Amino acid sequence: MDGAQELPDKELLSRHAQGDEQAFAVLVRRHRERLWAVAIRMMGEQEEASDALQDAFLSAFRAADRFRGDSQVTTWLHRIVVNACHDRLRRRKVRPATPTEDETLDIISNERLGRTGGAQDHAAQTESRLDVHAALDQLPLDQRMALTLVDMLGYRVDEAAEILDVATGTVKSRCARGRAKLLPSLAHLRNPGTPRDVTSGRGGANPS
Amino acid sequence: MTSHPDVEALAFFAEALLEPDEERSVADHIETCALCATTIDELAGVTRALADAPAPALPQDVAALLDDRVSEAVAARAAEAPSTETTEETTPADAPATVTPIHTRRRRFGLPRLMMVAAASVFVIGGGAAVVGSLMSDGPETGSAAPLSDENAPASAPDTAQSYSTEGVASGTVYTEDGLTEQASDVLNTAEGDGGLSVKSEETSARLPEGAQECVGHVEAATGAHVTLVDDARWEGPEGPDRAWVLFTRDGEGVDVLVVDPSCAHGDDLDSSVLAEGDL
Repeated sequence: MDGAQELPDKELLSRHAQGDEQAFAVLVRRHRERLWAVAIRMMGEQEEASDALQDAFLSAFRAADRFRGDSQVTTWLHRIVVNACHDRLRRRKVRPATPTEDETLDIISNERLGRTGGAQDHAAQTESRLDVHAALDQLPLDQRMALTLVDMLGYRVDEAAEILDVATGTVKSRCARGRAKLLPSLAHLRNPGTPRDVTSGRGGANPS
Repeated sequence: MTSHPDVEALAFFAEALLEPDEERSVADHIETCALCATTIDELAGVTRALADAPAPALPQDVAALLDDRVSEAVAARAAEAPSTETTEETTPADAPATVTPIHTRRRRFGLPRLMMVAAASVFVIGGGAAVVGSLMSDGPETGSAAPLSDENAPASAPDTAQSYSTEGVASGTVYTEDGLTEQASDVLNTAEGDGGLSVKSEETSARLPEGAQECVGHVEAATGAHVTLVDDARWEGPEGPDRAWVLFTRDGEGVDVLVVDPSCAHGDDLDSSVLAEGDL
């Protein structure tokens, strides 16, 4: 079906549910960049974001016949991705995953060392991403999800509310609580112009 | 009395979430308190720091991986389709065949034991489907054959028609990650202590909490193990104790414990309902 690229999301999803073998792949290609952006910011690490995104697309693949037409397909897909991330983050809290990739080990060991000297010098980008994610790790998951959508990704509060399936006021209060909690750990990032001392142990877990 | 509002109150103020009274008093306070006014600015700085956190674009290999997964899922669905009419009564709602690839991939994060048994049950069902498929048509190529060659996979066939019943208790235990094995042993010992499944505390009942039976069904379908006891209890998660069901399953070698949250009843994604597991 060559015309599939032009079909609307809902049509693709319903064709997929009826057994069409191409439709879902078109849907994935159409939305994967955006949903990756969500997953990578939720998970903070590529391998886990990749796993979460695979989980999510496979859930969506199987649940397509249960899609109710009352929300947008994009919202529905976002919700599935957010839930997949939530599950992984929750399990990470219960039982930290054993990292297998060198890169992951590297990142973790740097976090554990708190970068108190002797640690490898990372690119500033990686530094700041790790700082932010170490800080986000302190938050209850509800607050983390809301802040990721609203502050990191720039979704409107009502969009985030629909994705998270809660009231807009709930999103706002989760964001407010989260920001208050993050303030001490992200204080050093608030003036991007200020030179940052890489050797001063300022791990998110131990704000001074 | 000029005590500073706490940071959270200031964050709520910034979102206009405070009650009118409180809002007015915070507003008055900020007028004269440079410290709190600065904190409000810093809260906006948190948003900026979050917005500025860099994130890599979708890597090529992840994009390729997603394509592969979708192709696999399409192939699995196609392979499974012919069998659904004939084996419907033995296959629970969500036919496991399509589930295989995720479970095997997830092994690193999840529940090796559970998944190994799950793979075995897929083996049986998938094998049956292949036979049916070849009887019904000219034998479609089933891409699902690869994982079946694993000789280490347990060979026991799950019996989907179970005649025993699962007992329910409510021990009142707040299970923790560290204490899981010990706590579960205690509950199990007490439950089995006097022959029957009568537990010290609260009521002993053969009845399961609402939804637990469905959950048991999903777990049994996924593992092929028998759930003998469900403790309607609580789990000390990162956000405080939450209601959870602790499922005791017997397989040949001993007792496994599975802590699930009640969303398990829906069975959409069993794996994600599992909070913890242990062996006794």
